[in-house]
Amino acid sequence: MSISVALDITLKIKPPRAVFVPFMMGHLFGVPFHVKLQNEIIMSALGRITDATQSGDIFFFSKTWAKARQEGKKIERERSDLTSCYK
Amino acid sequence: MERSDTKQLRPGLWETVNERYPGSMITKDDLVPLATLDKALPESRVCFVSTAGVQPIGTLPFDTSHPVGDYTFRRVPTVAQVSDLEIHQLKYPTFGAEKDLNVVFPIERLQELARQRIVGELTSNFYSMIGYNMDPERLEMTLAEDIAAAVEAEKPDVVLLAPA
Repeated sequence: MSISVALDITLKIKPPRAVFVPFMMGHLFGVPFHVKLQNEIIMSALGRITDATQSGDIFFFSKTWAKARQEGKKIERERSDLTSCYK
Repeated sequence: MERSDTKQLRPGLWETVNERYPGSMITKDDLVPLATLDKALPESRVCFVSTAGVQPIGTLPFDTSHPVGDYTFRRVPTVAQVSDLEIHQLKYPTFGAEKDLNVVFPIERLQELARQRIVGELTSNFYSMIGYNMDPERLEMTLAEDIAAAVEAEKPDVVLLAPA
């Protein structure tokens, strides 16, 4: 089961199952501290283990990088505010 | 197949790399048969293999400056804490991973899934290498074979492959 941010390479390599995540390289599982998003990507991959019916299956993860970053910035702001409270 | 909202952020990677390093990129003509999982996920043993260059602190750093790459791998114990690990890799942006390693090597998320019994258990080790390996034949004949043998010895039911 492959998880990829490079759809063109995945199409050339032809893994039996893949999840394409339209995110930046180095951010295959999303953005820092976004536990829910990280889990969603992992669960999408695990889901294809049982749901894929033919080799070459590619599942397109639907969240955009812009949306992921927006959510990530909010999470980081909240973490920062929380840290400030305890200083 | 490709929807407008799920486009690759850096298109043409295969062509770009292959143009810069001719013959370095792998193409497969055939699909391998689909293996089926013969047990439920909560009973399955899960392994994770990454090209993120993540390794336990204190292990020999990957040689990120070698012109054709580093054809070795590192075992990452699945009981490791994020603070036990470091990254040696030059070929992808690490600004996210420097804050939270899970964006590229989600060891904490996988540990949680095992604790919650969403997956049965994790193998004793995860596996890591660097992605910058410019000799595809050597990659397939040595590193890929070595990792495959090591992973197989862990007897996983599911393996997640994560190029960084």
